[in-house]
Amino acid sequence: MNPPEGTGQAGGEVRRVVPDVETLARRLADVDYLVDEGLATSLFLSLRLPQPLLLEGEAGVGKTEAAKALAAVLDTPLIRLQCYEGIDAAEALYEWNYPRQLLSIKLAEAGGETLSEEALFGPDYLIRRPLLRALEHPGPRPAVLLIDEIDRADDDFEAFLLELLAEATVTIPELGTIVATHPPIIVLTSNRTRDLHDAVKRRCLYHWIDYPSAPREVEIVRRRVKGASETLAVQVADAVSRMRDSDVQKPPGIAEAIDWLAALSLLGVETLDAAAVGRTLGSVLKYDEDQEVIRAAGLEQLVLKR
Amino acid sequence: MTDFGVETVHLDLPPLAAALSRRLHDAGVPMTPERPADFARALTLVRPVSRRRLYWTARSVFVSDQAHAPAFDRVFFSVFGRTSSDDAVAHDERRTEGAPPDERPAVDGAAAGATLGSASPRAGGSGDEDAAEVEVPLAMASDEERLAGKRFDALDPHELAQLYRLMTRLEVATPLRRTRRHERARHGRRTDLRRTLRASLRTGGEPMRLARRRRRVVPRRLVMLCDISGSMEPYARAYLQFLTSAAGSGRHVEAFVFATRLTRLTRALAGRHPERAIQRAAAAAPDWSSGTRIGTALKRFNDRHGRRGMARGAVVVILSDGWERGDPALVGREMERLARLAHRIVWVNPRVSANAFTVQAGGMVAALPHCDALVSGHSFDALAEVAAAIGGAATPAIAAPAVTAAEPEPWASATPVPGSSVAMPSGHGPSRGNTTPGWVTDD
Repeated sequence: MNPPEGTGQAGGEVRRVVPDVETLARRLADVDYLVDEGLATSLFLSLRLPQPLLLEGEAGVGKTEAAKALAAVLDTPLIRLQCYEGIDAAEALYEWNYPRQLLSIKLAEAGGETLSEEALFGPDYLIRRPLLRALEHPGPRPAVLLIDEIDRADDDFEAFLLELLAEATVTIPELGTIVATHPPIIVLTSNRTRDLHDAVKRRCLYHWIDYPSAPREVEIVRRRVKGASETLAVQVADAVSRMRDSDVQKPPGIAEAIDWLAALSLLGVETLDAAAVGRTLGSVLKYDEDQEVIRAAGLEQLVLKR
Repeated sequence: MTDFGVETVHLDLPPLAAALSRRLHDAGVPMTPERPADFARALTLVRPVSRRRLYWTARSVFVSDQAHAPAFDRVFFSVFGRTSSDDAVAHDERRTEGAPPDERPAVDGAAAGATLGSASPRAGGSGDEDAAEVEVPLAMASDEERLAGKRFDALDPHELAQLYRLMTRLEVATPLRRTRRHERARHGRRTDLRRTLRASLRTGGEPMRLARRRRRVVPRRLVMLCDISGSMEPYARAYLQFLTSAAGSGRHVEAFVFATRLTRLTRALAGRHPERAIQRAAAAAPDWSSGTRIGTALKRFNDRHGRRGMARGAVVVILSDGWERGDPALVGREMERLARLAHRIVWVNPRVSANAFTVQAGGMVAALPHCDALVSGHSFDALAEVAAAIGGAATPAIAAPAVTAAEPEPWASATPVPGSSVAMPSGHGPSRGNTTPGWVTDD
């Protein structure tokens, strides 16, 4: 049976690297990205269907890291487009190299030639922005395109992305439609500052990344902070999980747990106590109010044995 | 019964996918025609060796928002059964529920225990309200004038319905904000190189005229938080109409209601039929006419929505009388947070219009220092003042809070009786007693 997935050489290559969900999970673990079954299944489907994957979750749970890990597993470049308010086609897709065009016009003039418009708006004068680079990636395996924090872009930009998400093509007025030779693996992330348009969601697979279970978090932070002791890692994961359950505005994510463990190991802390927490609280809680909440509850509460 | 566990992969996939998607649709999970096909394709790739694998495969394909996950779980487990390990999965989900972006009545209805396959749980509501609206006579100018000046709490249901027409004429426009996007403009500050160059080709490469562009301006987002607790009940219906008409005016409007909890209504209020939108909204909020926890509601708004970006640079309108059952200090703290995020905060308090009004309600005292404007909005005419305040007009200074002996709360707040449910105040006419059926006062 031939599954209707990405055809041709690129699809075959992906199939060879990631034959099933278990292999993908193992390979992701090899590049220090640990996934649970839900995320593994979503990533696998996104690679093999292929279909863009929309990842949501609290800040710092590893949405961006997921795309980086995918690129590492496939051994292809990660092309990242950081979205921001007001991003438009000129910054995301392509721009013409105006200084160079002007120079060419002047040179042609000096040489007594005339420069046709087709020549002036040809590939030579095209500045390729991330989306175009991802589409033109020569292979052999497709590039991973990370469209990061799409909720920061305005909704016009979402509409602009639809063609890319559905067809893996983009249209440049001067050049025509550009079809990807190896359709990129597209990962979108959102922090939910606003609702994405249904049209975008419809074209994507969806996965909500949750905070990991305590044992998994210990394993994750230990892989990221080399040389940290297991006791310390367990204590950090435990304390962070208590902070998440408490009444803080911004619950710490895995990223903060990693930062915190790194800070503690750098200071040579062996086991976590109230004093050590007090010195390093700034690397895990970034709001003054949150620090006050935790201090008021008592720092020693964070390091109690469960 | 045959053991069909191993036979699953040989099932005829398309009917299975179609049946599952239909059930999901009935349970309120948004569905598109492509999804069943995608699911069938996904199953050919992922061999569903375990129920867990099948679960995650189906969920990746069918669920496009965390808020729909509970509805999905119910359908999935009812179709494929549930094991103890599934419970563990479901439990993990609950640990970090995301900002519920739209609590659509469809999902809520299903949560209330509607059985699958029964009539769609979508909040259709009773049709009699629609019927009532048809009867609006050709409004005479004098009639409208009288209506416009009348206090909301003195309106009868028929007048309330008429009021909606007036409200649609109200122009609610927020101040402008410059975006990073550009648009072409004759006298813009920046040069539009692309167009300049294009034009220069016609003149032999000599840029004769510089094309210009400027930063585009867009209206700021408008966020409205409306108090629907017992003490605000006489105004709730009118304000809900105001929310609906404002929400229908543009895409930069977010609407919430709160009493003991915060409910986002933006999605419920969208749509072409205002009357139905109001019914949907009424069905979406479970805490009509209950006690007020302004501080908790504000905190929830700040944590879930405001901090993530909804309130940033926005005009926030709070419609409440400021009677707080919780700790006023929390109101002050959360208002301060909100003030740091928002461009402008307009507090609409219908009691401001009363003679010799002084700020006494605990929540109001705490909130006042962080408000940019305090307006009354007790009648349609007064709503024009609200619209002006939203647009950034200066409002008369508010008398400093003269804290006197606490005046008794005019409507004793009610405490929900467990198990009772109150939807919208029935019909248009809010009851004006001390209690609302289904609630008991606590005193």
